[in-house]
Amino acid sequence: MLIQENLSTEEKLKILTGAARYDVACTSSGVGRSGKEGSLGNSRPDGICHSFAADGRCISLLKILFTNQCIYDCRYCINRRSNDTVRTAFTPDEICRLTIEFYRRNYIEGLFLSSGVLDTPDYTMEQLYRTLYLLRNKYCFNGYIHVKAIPGADPALIEMTGFLADRMSVNLELPTADGLKRLAPGKTREKILTPMRQIQLGIVRQMEKEGRQLPPGASSVLKEGIPFFSQEKEGRASLPGVRGNTRKNFPERAVSRQGVIPGKSVYGGFGMGRISNRRSYFVPAGQSTQLIVGATSESDYHMMRVAEALYQNFGLKRVFYSAFIRVNDDSLLPELPGGPPLLREHRLYQADWLMRYYGFQAGELLDERRPNFNIYLDPKCDWALRNLALFPVEINRAPYEVLLRVPGIGVKSAMRIVSARRQTALRFEDLKKIGVVLKRAVYFIMCSGRMMESVPIDEDAIADRLIGAERKKNLELGGSGLYRQLSLFDDFHLEAVKK
Amino acid sequence: MMVFLCENSPEGIFSGVYDAWMSRLGHKNVSLAVQGEYNYTLFSQCREVEACSWKAEKVVKAVREKISELAYSWIYRCALSPEPGRADVIYRFLIYGFHIGSGVTGYLQIPEVHGAFAMNRAVADEAHLLMEFVRFEELAGGILFAPINPKNDVTALLMPHFCDRMPEERFIIYDEKRKRAGVHTGGREWYFVSGEETRPLSELAGKTDRGEYAVLWRAFFSSIAVPERKNPVCQRSHLPLHFRSRMTEFQQQADGKSGK
Repeated sequence: MLIQENLSTEEKLKILTGAARYDVACTSSGVGRSGKEGSLGNSRPDGICHSFAADGRCISLLKILFTNQCIYDCRYCINRRSNDTVRTAFTPDEICRLTIEFYRRNYIEGLFLSSGVLDTPDYTMEQLYRTLYLLRNKYCFNGYIHVKAIPGADPALIEMTGFLADRMSVNLELPTADGLKRLAPGKTREKILTPMRQIQLGIVRQMEKEGRQLPPGASSVLKEGIPFFSQEKEGRASLPGVRGNTRKNFPERAVSRQGVIPGKSVYGGFGMGRISNRRSYFVPAGQSTQLIVGATSESDYHMMRVAEALYQNFGLKRVFYSAFIRVNDDSLLPELPGGPPLLREHRLYQADWLMRYYGFQAGELLDERRPNFNIYLDPKCDWALRNLALFPVEINRAPYEVLLRVPGIGVKSAMRIVSARRQTALRFEDLKKIGVVLKRAVYFIMCSGRMMESVPIDEDAIADRLIGAERKKNLELGGSGLYRQLSLFDDFHLEAVKK
Repeated sequence: MMVFLCENSPEGIFSGVYDAWMSRLGHKNVSLAVQGEYNYTLFSQCREVEACSWKAEKVVKAVREKISELAYSWIYRCALSPEPGRADVIYRFLIYGFHIGSGVTGYLQIPEVHGAFAMNRAVADEAHLLMEFVRFEELAGGILFAPINPKNDVTALLMPHFCDRMPEERFIIYDEKRKRAGVHTGGREWYFVSGEETRPLSELAGKTDRGEYAVLWRAFFSSIAVPERKNPVCQRSHLPLHFRSRMTEFQQQADGKSGK
């Protein structure tokens, strides 16, 4: 391992940014805090993006590693021990100065500090704590800070760091314990979930102390101290909720069918939201995690079930999905000739939103027999097509939860429909102004008892048009609704012979 | 038809609303336009409206009390739009507003209400984007300076955000198009500077930031992107090209090309 001692700040920044870029979380949301005299920075609950990199991802925080030295040898990771790259580390002061100066110029919204594991998890966590302490107290920084909790670090250190940070995260990386064992030999499921549970408990305790309304299922977390992984044979831990028989131990049923509150996550907000700038709070913006998509052979269904279990049992604010990028040449990693699985990642995010804000459950979107998302249709259209019996929906009467399930109607437009229809019956023209995407919605809605003229109502025709709308071709062909090219595969459901 | 010509500022437009309303000519027989943008039409007379703070304050007070704070924020933002019909949009919206009351902002199916809504949204959206994309450059003496060139007159919407964020910093946001600058010298207060006084600022605008941290920021910006995921279309839809000439991270490339 090559450790460079005297690199310039610019070189260090390049190396440690390049090493941190595979972490996807870069949000600055979840906490609202106004500025205060004598310090720099505030925070807005909806977050602010400051730039967009060449890959189209938002840059909100100064995303860097404290060091890229690491004692672990995770197969997928660019910083793994066995890679021959230049290793370096920032000093806490360097990080603070960069953060402050970038923030003053409105380049960033705050700091995202992660790190490779240097010597021991405890030592690394201590360094992160030291950096945050300096930044908050010596440099008087009042902006957003997202910091990683290092698995295996002393809980006391994580607790202390939590009071300086806004959001903390522990990356689960691989959805199954088997995958973790294979690709990340130094880590175990247990080691990762322990700090996650600790942070969740800390957040819930604080919300209780502050008199905030507790999310569903949170009180039982406090009381019973639920075990967070079930011991299966050979002591291998797996996430609750993924296997059928382990589910009954968890307060899931209480959570399962909550009413959808407009604009709020179904799983409840594990975090403080708006806070005073005079006191410190424990992880007020909640915690998040990340799953790698496509490094192991899990199906989309499996990923969604894991995400659902994380939301329900660990009170996460967000689960991020990261399309696997083959940065290391390793025989255990899959070959990806078509590049990273970006479309799959996109579908998982769409489904993630459907679960949090639209009241869908993983089991509704996918099941064991159809474990992967349709590449041509988004998960909501796909669901609607499989449940045509529930449609069309009457715009002027249907409750909010039902409107939300119509493709082309989102949270905002559903809220606008509900408020506008109090005064008058809405027509198709009005819907367009309100922001409904009519090209997707027309197949599924009625206004005052009528569907739009010449709209087909059988599954194949709608699917054909929706896919056409998505690809922006073949539109004219089916435009009249009368003539179109017959296809053996689409119309008669023939399948190509499989080898 | 009586056309009331207002000054081009929120205060001027609200004064126009007051005069048009109190003229008692009937809503059908009056319309509002902004001075300098109005073209004479047949069968109509013009009346110039002087901007008066007491008239504007009366309108603002009535809107906040009889309609809602949200409606006030709508009409304030509409007044900052460059659309030629903005004064009339505000007037037509207020007719419904005073008739319906606080619920008016939910009546999006009424064309007049939707017009005000859409105009207000366009201004709010640009203000939000600029909150993200404004870049400050450090001048001698630690003063932060940011030139902007927005379609809507959003300086007044940006200043409070940055005053709250950086109470200890001295900074200037300079609108190149309108030759007007918001200046903050500490605390939560800020003020406008316009006209001749902004001339030194216009000379500062349009230069590449070559400071130490600008260089570091460009290094960060180029290495944070994952090359395997390169996606210029996605980048462009989030960060339109017209913002980029004033953003530190895109300036170096432009310079490099012209240098060669």
